[in-house]
Amino acid sequence: MAYRGGGGHGHPHSAALNVSPRSLPTCRTHTHSICMVSDFFYPNMGGVESHIYQLSQCLIERGHKVIIVTHAYGNRKGIRYLTNGLKVYYLPLKVMYNQSTATTLFHSLPLLRYIFVRERVTIIHSHSSFSAMAHDALFHAKTMGLQTVFTDHSLFGFADVSSVLTNKLLTVSLCDTNHIICVSYTSKENTVLRAALNPEIVSVIPNAVDPTDFTPDPFRRHDSIITIVVVSRLVYRKGTDLLSGIIPELCQKYPDLNFIIGGEGPKRIILEEVRERYQLHDRVRLLGALEHKDVRNVLVQGHIFLNTSLTEAFCMAIVEAASCGLQVVSTRVGGIPEVLPENLIILCEPSVKSLCEGLEKAISQLKSGTLPAPENVHNIVKTFYTWRNVAERTEKVYDRVAGEAVLPMDRRLDRLISHCGPVTGCIFALLAVFNFLFLMFLRWMTPDSFIDVAMDATGPKGAWTYPHPYGRKQGDNNEVSQVR
Amino acid sequence: MCAQPVANTKEIRWQKVLYERQPFPDNYVDRRFLEELRKNIYARKYRYWAVVFESSVVVQQLCSVCVFVVIWWYMDEGLLAPQWLFGTGLASSLIGYILFDLVDGGEGRRRSGRTRWADLKSALVFITFTYGFSPILKTLTESVSTDTVYAMSVFMLLGHLIFFDYGANAAIVSSTLSLNMAIFASVCLASRLPRTLHAFIMVTFAIQIFALWPMLQKKLKARTPRSYVGVTLLFAFSALGGLLSISAVGAILFALLLVSISCLCPFYLIRLQLFKENIHGPWDEAEIKEDLSRFLS
Repeated sequence: MAYRGGGGHGHPHSAALNVSPRSLPTCRTHTHSICMVSDFFYPNMGGVESHIYQLSQCLIERGHKVIIVTHAYGNRKGIRYLTNGLKVYYLPLKVMYNQSTATTLFHSLPLLRYIFVRERVTIIHSHSSFSAMAHDALFHAKTMGLQTVFTDHSLFGFADVSSVLTNKLLTVSLCDTNHIICVSYTSKENTVLRAALNPEIVSVIPNAVDPTDFTPDPFRRHDSIITIVVVSRLVYRKGTDLLSGIIPELCQKYPDLNFIIGGEGPKRIILEEVRERYQLHDRVRLLGALEHKDVRNVLVQGHIFLNTSLTEAFCMAIVEAASCGLQVVSTRVGGIPEVLPENLIILCEPSVKSLCEGLEKAISQLKSGTLPAPENVHNIVKTFYTWRNVAERTEKVYDRVAGEAVLPMDRRLDRLISHCGPVTGCIFALLAVFNFLFLMFLRWMTPDSFIDVAMDATGPKGAWTYPHPYGRKQGDNNEVSQVR
Repeated sequence: MCAQPVANTKEIRWQKVLYERQPFPDNYVDRRFLEELRKNIYARKYRYWAVVFESSVVVQQLCSVCVFVVIWWYMDEGLLAPQWLFGTGLASSLIGYILFDLVDGGEGRRRSGRTRWADLKSALVFITFTYGFSPILKTLTESVSTDTVYAMSVFMLLGHLIFFDYGANAAIVSSTLSLNMAIFASVCLASRLPRTLHAFIMVTFAIQIFALWPMLQKKLKARTPRSYVGVTLLFAFSALGGLLSISAVGAILFALLLVSISCLCPFYLIRLQLFKENIHGPWDEAEIKEDLSRFLS
């Protein structure tokens, strides 16, 4: 599905104009040139990755220019094009830990500056606080005088040494960022506290799911038995330990109860032990790692969806499950209470006892037939979260940011010193000065005017729409192109 | 720019939900913002004397190291006969051994199910082996320069103090590593003593003071806090006295160190406690409070 061009200048023809009236901008003064930066992008899979991809596609649909910058994944380096001419730069930077690059605050400047100039980027949008590259890009963008937006996708505590250090770095990184986006109100409170921010510059824009990917199919499930579905990575933070207590409790009580568990992780072993110990091989199915496209087929086999997470900023899994018409039972942690209305979710405390009570309530409702029909649930949920809405709201953030001034160097240094504490502030102010000098040096080596301007391949007016010789396949907006 | 309509905010109350489109801008800050924030809910209130009492573990360990070095110095100078140290050590070990059982009325022994015969056996095996190997210990570091040996001993003793199990639940605590470092230091120092017998007795003494003595201390502290305070004071003064006989300056510095650890540091801890700002809220990772191992046993 993907088209791999041989660089940005492959097709110098002017593109055919076939703009559908639907995608014309409705209330906007001008379009933006946006650069999404994160260490996490396809082929890596996860919430951040799909967020960046879907948001970019919807922004392109709305007439903006979007490029994505990430680090090289194995063999995948250089420039790739995804659906609708979405250009992705896979930069050859060393990965240090957990798919995050190492940060020196300097080594990425030459590459990133070249891309920002070449693509005529006006807004840098970084994603995920765990991504070193995202913070690097913010730092360089401020030095270059570009507008910056940051999206935080995760929650973080305050208790231990590692979180104290990470939060300090986040304070430094966000103190002069124009706008911050969080995925839930709880996440906003968390980020405001962690980075000591003015809450006015933090917007809440939830994640979305594609409702057409998650449609109910009541014929796939057996109504003679009750099936509970769990889809999550099997790690401590997702509460797999709680699951290992719930399975024997409920299986002993309800002989017609089955479990389907999708996902892989280090805690799988304890589920296998439980299955072994209570002889539940025919009632507890462990499916292992699931591809994103298979998730729906697993979900529709169940009646009840169980989420045992111990921390969660915005739980996509429960929205996906509700969209498939399942009754959701979940722990009351993080942003989860904000995600679904009370009639669609049963919230429990993070303990085996409370979760069992919640599940029993769901089972009794199921047996008495008081649960709403899957189709009705789907029709309610599909109106909640859409990527188009997310793009629309993000666009407002861009519009607001574009009207703001980027702090000039002297005020940026003042802000760093006054905002981040005397020691850290001074260190980073010094680093900012070095960064500026380095940028001066780079500008002297290769002046901006020497850098080629890349062609915009995206959007309805982009070169992408030109019918190239290979024959263009109809790109589906919501599917990831995978060239492996 | 198309700002969302911000009308009727008086009538429509903002809700902390994401699934409804609300007539507020995305960066709206409600009065309820951060209302679930809690501060210092797990903070402990310390009482000064309780902290001073707890700090005695550190004082004891510092004194142990001091006594060990002082004894080694006396042996090295030839002022202390090894037979005399061995006799005293044996006698105090026996007293300690009896006390160890007396303090808790033999409860610990019954629980562990260890017989006296087993104790005697391991003591005999240990003494025999150390005695047998002491010529090797004596010549072990002959090719290493004396300065290196001293430096190594200092580092090892410092490491012993750092990794010692003072009762804190931290990743750095490792009583095995701590004991090993102390024994290594003792072997280093013993190899600089004049004769094999000296080396043998020095290592035996190190085992007594670094392995056996903390065990007795722990039990004393748990069972008879009063006598423990007495023992600590006595031990501290004897260590100071020993050091004074070698170096007055060293003794003064050591005394200052002990006083600051047992009196100033607790004071400082309680003062700093006022500045504690521990933030809790719905974003905290939930803790599993139940014992889940019962499902697997």
